Amino acid sequence: MPPEVFTLAQIPITAHAFSANRKELAASLNSNDVRLYTRNGSEWTPTETLSEHDKLITSIDWAPRSNRIVTASQDRNAYVWTETPDPESGKLIWKPTLVLLRINRAATHVRWSPLENKFAVASGARAIAVCSFDEESNWWVAKHIKKPIRSTVLSVDWHPNNVLLAAGSADMKARVFSGYIKEVDERPAPSVWGSKLPFNTVCGEFSSPAGGWVHAVGFSPSGDILAFASHDSSITVVYPSGPAIFTIRLPSLPLVALSWISEESIVAAGHDCKPLVYAGSEQGWQEVGTLDDASSSKASEGPRSGFGGSGGVGRLKTGAFATFRDADTRGQSTLGGASSVSSDTKLNTIHQNTITSVRPYEEHGGYVTKVSTTGVDGTLVIWDTNEVSTLTGKMGGVRI
Amino acid sequence: METAFRKIDIDKYDEEVLRDEDLYDADPRDPGQVLEEARQRQAAVRSSLAKNDTAGALAVILDNAPYGPNVDEAKQITLSTLLTILNSTKATEITSVIKALTPDAQDTLMKYIYKGMAMPGWGDISGSVLLGWHEKLTEVAGVGSIVRAITDRRIV
Repeated sequence: MPPEVFTLAQIPITAHAFSANRKELAASLNSNDVRLYTRNGSEWTPTETLSEHDKLITSIDWAPRSNRIVTASQDRNAYVWTETPDPESGKLIWKPTLVLLRINRAATHVRWSPLENKFAVASGARAIAVCSFDEESNWWVAKHIKKPIRSTVLSVDWHPNNVLLAAGSADMKARVFSGYIKEVDERPAPSVWGSKLPFNTVCGEFSSPAGGWVHAVGFSPSGDILAFASHDSSITVVYPSGPAIFTIRLPSLPLVALSWISEESIVAAGHDCKPLVYAGSEQGWQEVGTLDDASSSKASEGPRSGFGGSGGVGRLKTGAFATFRDADTRGQSTLGGASSVSSDTKLNTIHQNTITSVRPYEEHGGYVTKVSTTGVDGTLVIWDTNEVSTLTGKMGGVRI
Repeated sequence: METAFRKIDIDKYDEEVLRDEDLYDADPRDPGQVLEEARQRQAAVRSSLAKNDTAGALAVILDNAPYGPNVDEAKQITLSTLLTILNSTKATEITSVIKALTPDAQDTLMKYIYKGMAMPGWGDISGSVLLGWHEKLTEVAGVGSIVRAITDRRIV
């Protein structure tokens, strides 16, 4: 199935999350508000706006079973939104509850735990706030994971056991912590990450291979493998039981988001504007291709070149580079015409700018069959994860 | 107006201040040893170059390159040795030499190319040599290698 493309706006989408039935979408369009959309055939129609934050919203997560939305923002607050009937009209409205995060810097990322009784908020205060609901005071309370974080935490991801938490941080490390909270959690079974897990236990600490800050972290579906993508253009897969660590150095720009699609494969995307697929096992990992099949999208829109013209390697020669070189060496200042350089500034990819978020969209028998991506170009794309085309094949197509 | 306060090192009073050294693992070797190794490598490179083995010479100099504080002299020796290699390689051989390097060495080479370009007067090397190597290296290792050279705090 070809990817479904929706242009939600001409401005960046900072975060997106779907409801459990995938009929509704919550997205933040680089603003203080969350916009809710409902799916109408092949369109997303805006329905509601959730306004409560007074700075940019950085992350949204929608709990599938309890149908609650949590939002995190640069205003250092998080809100939990519940759909409740309005006492006057009886209409269902989204009601916010403030969460006391007790952080003094922006909240950067938020994720519900698998059992939806906790969520974790990453922040610039060198801390992760693990929030749980206190029945007595009817209030979300936060406990902080602080040590040994040295800088802003950029992403978090929960282990399926509802206790362990992975965090990627700007101090160039990905870590696995225990987010065990006595009041709400049952004692977790021992796993590859350890058996004794009081709150804030560091179960693993992994450096990015060439000193890049860690953009994205993710546990595999079983929770036994950790993957992280960092700004040194690399993706690392960690098997703690081995222990084996596999690093893939990309020839292209850094990845900023990733999502496991099975125990053996990952979809990751970032500054190169196309989702890449990685696959492997305890024997090793490698890139297998991309979901953005340029040759098929090209057929409908004519040949395109530009920055994304020929994959990663050697692409300095194309697009803008060639334009400046021609202007310099041949005095050609006009574009197009007889020149071999195309004046087209359109990228060879579906997303026209950095992809900032990759999320599972549809699952089938423990395998994620579709993922959704949003990015700086204001576009939402839903990809079929089986439609992997190899990059080499694609480059061949470009040359013709 | 009193401006002396601007010169106060306020980080001194911040217990949680993030230092450069916190962001990478320090070199386990002590500075003296690093300097000694740099000198040995310089000699090894000379003999490799005498045998016309450019790829071998590059691999030697890029392996375990000095980084971090207190090893300025070793860094200087390594850089000048490396620039000698770059200068003496024929333009037609560059790509094959680069392809023979490990990905790690390619990233380190990229760091040195940028370091060379950052030096006043570009060291003793002509600009076209560094730019030529930069172009060829980018073709082989991709722009990812440039990103790694810029991001890495283990500055050579």
